[in-house]
Amino acid sequence: MDTLHAHLEALFDDLELVIGWETGYEPLRPTPAFLRSREDLSRLVWNPLCAPNLSVYLPGILKDAKETGKKIGVCLKGCDSRSLGALVQEGFVERERLYVVGLPCPGTVDPEALAEARKSSAPVTHVSFRDGLLAITSRDGTEEIELERVLARRCRRCRHPNPLHADVILGDPVPPRRTEPSFSDVDAVEAMSLEERRAYWEEELSRCLRCYACRNACPLCVCRDRCLAESRTPKWTTQRDGVRDKFLFHMIHALHLAGRCTECGECERVCPVGIPVALFKEKMARIALELWDYQAGTDPAATPPLQTFDPSETGI
Amino acid sequence: MSEKNERQLRIVGFLCNWCSYGGADTAGVCRFKQPPLLRIIRIPCTGRMDPLFVVKALAQGADGVLVSGCHPKDCHYAVGNFYARRRLELVKRFLPFVGLDPRRFHYTWVSASEGQRWQEVVTEFSAVIQELGPNPGIGADTPMETAGQAASAFA
Amino acid sequence: MRIGVFVCQCGTNIAGTVDTRAVAQRALDYPDVVFATDYMYTCSEPGQQEIQNAIAEHRLQGVVVAACSPRMHEPTFRRAVEKAGLNRYMFEMANIREHVSWIGQDRAANTLKAMELVRMAVEKLRRNEPLFASEVPINKRVLVIGGGVAGIQAALDCADAGLDVVLVEREQSIGGKMAKLDKTFPTIDCSSCILGPKMVDVAQKENITLHAYSEVESVSGYIGNFTVKIRKKATYVDWDACTGCGLCMEKCPSKKTVDRFNEALGVTTAIQIPFPQAIPKKARIQKDACRYFTTGKCKVCQKICPTGAVHYDMEDREVVEEVGAIIVATGYDLFDPAPYGEYGAGRYPDVITGIQFERILSASGPFGGHVKRPSDGKEPKDIVFVACVGSRDKSVDRPYCSGICCMYIAKQAILARDHLPGVNCYVFYMDIRSPGKNYDEFVRRAIEEYGVQYIRGRVGKIYPNGDRMVVQGADTLLGAQVEVEADLVVLATGVESSRGAKELAEKLRISYDQYGFYMESHPKLRPVETNTAGVYLAGACQGPKDIPASVAQGSAAAAKVLALFARDTIATDPQVAGVLESACIGCGKCLSVCPFGAIQWKTLRDGSRKADVLETVCQGCGLCNATCPPKAIQLRHFTDDQILAELDALCA
Repeated sequence: MDTLHAHLEALFDDLELVIGWETGYEPLRPTPAFLRSREDLSRLVWNPLCAPNLSVYLPGILKDAKETGKKIGVCLKGCDSRSLGALVQEGFVERERLYVVGLPCPGTVDPEALAEARKSSAPVTHVSFRDGLLAITSRDGTEEIELERVLARRCRRCRHPNPLHADVILGDPVPPRRTEPSFSDVDAVEAMSLEERRAYWEEELSRCLRCYACRNACPLCVCRDRCLAESRTPKWTTQRDGVRDKFLFHMIHALHLAGRCTECGECERVCPVGIPVALFKEKMARIALELWDYQAGTDPAATPPLQTFDPSETGI
Repeated sequence: MSEKNERQLRIVGFLCNWCSYGGADTAGVCRFKQPPLLRIIRIPCTGRMDPLFVVKALAQGADGVLVSGCHPKDCHYAVGNFYARRRLELVKRFLPFVGLDPRRFHYTWVSASEGQRWQEVVTEFSAVIQELGPNPGIGADTPMETAGQAASAFA
Repeated sequence: MRIGVFVCQCGTNIAGTVDTRAVAQRALDYPDVVFATDYMYTCSEPGQQEIQNAIAEHRLQGVVVAACSPRMHEPTFRRAVEKAGLNRYMFEMANIREHVSWIGQDRAANTLKAMELVRMAVEKLRRNEPLFASEVPINKRVLVIGGGVAGIQAALDCADAGLDVVLVEREQSIGGKMAKLDKTFPTIDCSSCILGPKMVDVAQKENITLHAYSEVESVSGYIGNFTVKIRKKATYVDWDACTGCGLCMEKCPSKKTVDRFNEALGVTTAIQIPFPQAIPKKARIQKDACRYFTTGKCKVCQKICPTGAVHYDMEDREVVEEVGAIIVATGYDLFDPAPYGEYGAGRYPDVITGIQFERILSASGPFGGHVKRPSDGKEPKDIVFVACVGSRDKSVDRPYCSGICCMYIAKQAILARDHLPGVNCYVFYMDIRSPGKNYDEFVRRAIEEYGVQYIRGRVGKIYPNGDRMVVQGADTLLGAQVEVEADLVVLATGVESSRGAKELAEKLRISYDQYGFYMESHPKLRPVETNTAGVYLAGACQGPKDIPASVAQGSAAAAKVLALFARDTIATDPQVAGVLESACIGCGKCLSVCPFGAIQWKTLRDGSRKADVLETVCQGCGLCNATCPPKAIQLRHFTDDQILAELDALCA
């Protein structure tokens, strides 16, 4: 934390803006911070509650930013940095306009798991993190909770805790929880029969509000307010409140992420009704891996597999 | 015709104009008999084929979806089917994950001269669909409201 | 919309197994259908009249014909509705013959299927929009890239037809590889005697502009209207002034310059005219060999030149040519045998390539046409030819057959025997490929009349023994190892794509295969077209080819250009992609997948970039449409909504 502040402090004259996290309405929920003055830097926080993937803001901010010659500083976790890689691959972000502060990430917290693990339910006044332990302070005192117990699903399968494509890495490297791609949650769905899977998704998706939070949080959902799911011409979905249209929206999202998803899990994290929507994209990522040995966002020079072809490909 | 309460099975075909649509024509000209399940939508190239069409058709209860184009390396537009086969294979592998039966989706390559092959493709795929029976689709809370059903009233 | 539906009985072709009346009756229940009927032969003159009458009587705005395949009669009916005042795209066909009546006997099932196909056609038609072809004027000038025999043929044919031709040649002279050949198979006629007059023709035609020692820098625009930037490389000699007298070459003191035209078998001067028949016959200074450029002192050529043509301060110059079509005839290069270390090319002076031997045979070559070996100038007594060096060999990434080597080996062996009647010629070969007119007879002559000894097998190793070379190989017919001693070994190096072929392809936006050969539009039916409208191919740039095939393609490409230029404008097919700018997110995915380079960026006043379709270039495949995430780019007449309407008509 201190290194983060000190590092940005020293560099601040060369930066137009710093994107990081700050304490939100409570310390449990850090929110994205967009800092333009040196004094504001002190507001930055960095701990396992800093869940939002900040790369989602980069295309819009770079588009609107004036060319001052100054760079835009951004703090990225490992998974966030893969999203940046994919955005660079697709030309949405000019890497040279950024100053990327890579933060090796011990994992992020699943808020529901944390709420269950806490003994107290009093409002939190302070949070700190050290040696795998979260220290949560409220008027009931400070309780220590192992991060591993309250880890978000996405972080349990994380292979990239250490940021890629960064200008600087602040902090010691974190040993990855996984060295090989892990799709155990996808496997769990696939263990069901076809009929059960259909029923499972119909049940899960029946809760969908079509609030589009999953889409808005997705760094690779580059259509933004031009989303096909809301388009009148062409009209792929209706506004009818039925499972079929909800399903179609999620299929649009999943197919648009095919061969592009960097598995940051933001879509699922932000879902207000707890639908495991990231599983669709994890399945897509697995197919891309199987078919083309491709992992989005790891190589900024690579072409996404659906944007190219190989005449010598056989078996498909 | 089938009993009134047994829904007529339907396969939606997406055929490229240059090869497979021609192949289906050739099969017709040669009077190669085929089961009557298939309804063909003509598209210029399988490169036009958005995988979403497949998902939407199956979600809406199409009993089968058949996509056919020029053989790879023979695309009228040179590379359209090279892109298409990646997209189609991807969606084929994805369907079962969301509970859609991948056997209901088939993609293949048939040239304009391959009338016989077209007959085989349609016959085999129709048999698969007959075997599988009606597709419930996803979220079948929408009443069928189509020509399909209205027309079933005939005969 | 007011829609009319016409169900064709096609005699009994359809009516035999489809209740056409019931299909027409059912159509009246579909939205917007105000008229429906069945008719015996809808495509007949009275049938078409019936449609036209109904359009007038029922004020129809769209027509569906349920009949045969649209591949058969769509143009017919489009013309019919157009005559009655409708836009030709306000028409749809339901194929109830090839796809229904001819493939099933079950009348009830067929009738149901026909009804559904009509319903699909009606739903599609309801989303159709009138489309209009636009006309784009054609600039009737043609650019030919490459002045080998294919390019020369194309340029002359176009010029003979009265076109303005721009011919760009990378080297100092046109003529290409053929200009280096001594004789040609299977007629043994002199290469420069048949090529020379054509080269002279190029120089003399007033409507051919020749840019020699020039390269295409960039290409923009599209069929009918290309803008081509050409870089004229500095020659340090003003070619308008140079008369080609050759005095400079006599006096130039740098006489040890490697003679590239003679495949490094001889030397030339720093200021040079590559060969006596060169077109244009102008001198050029090779900078790295010139004394003035390397030491700062000399200027002999400048002093001696009678017309004062030498200018050491000359720089590359760019010219811009506007043309309506482009013929690419960039030819090929020969495989560099260096990867075959066991053959010793480059290490042993008497192991040479086929093209080097061609220069040795030539009367204007380094030895004046006397067959001598490079090392000591002795006449060889034994010559070994090795076939397939860089052909049909996956280990050097050249799995393809170069097509010409079997023939040129036979020719060179015959010529060697003609020059030196006592010489023994041996050929190591894999198979003999001679499928041209009089080709196999020619090879037979080499074997039977000229006594050339053919040994079927690969050469394993070539090594020196005294002043001779030992060629070690297998004779697969005898099943034995053989060793042949030779004074000279000729490696029949294969054909590969021209140096820089891929870079040029990128500029032209034409596709190339993994070996750098350009891809024709269709391997059988469109052999000289590319998928970029207005760009044509001729000769070995498309794949290995001999002279007759290259010349034929030169003429074929010229014919394509003449057919294109026979009209003053190009009508563009309106079934092309269009961009809804407000929905375009500027992601560029459509640009990257378009096989035709038909999409480019357009910058709006607010600085945002949007995809923009060049309607004359778009071929209407719809790949962009399928790729576009927000579906801002739509293929007209096959839009998402139109296809979804057909789908929804079946299941929703």
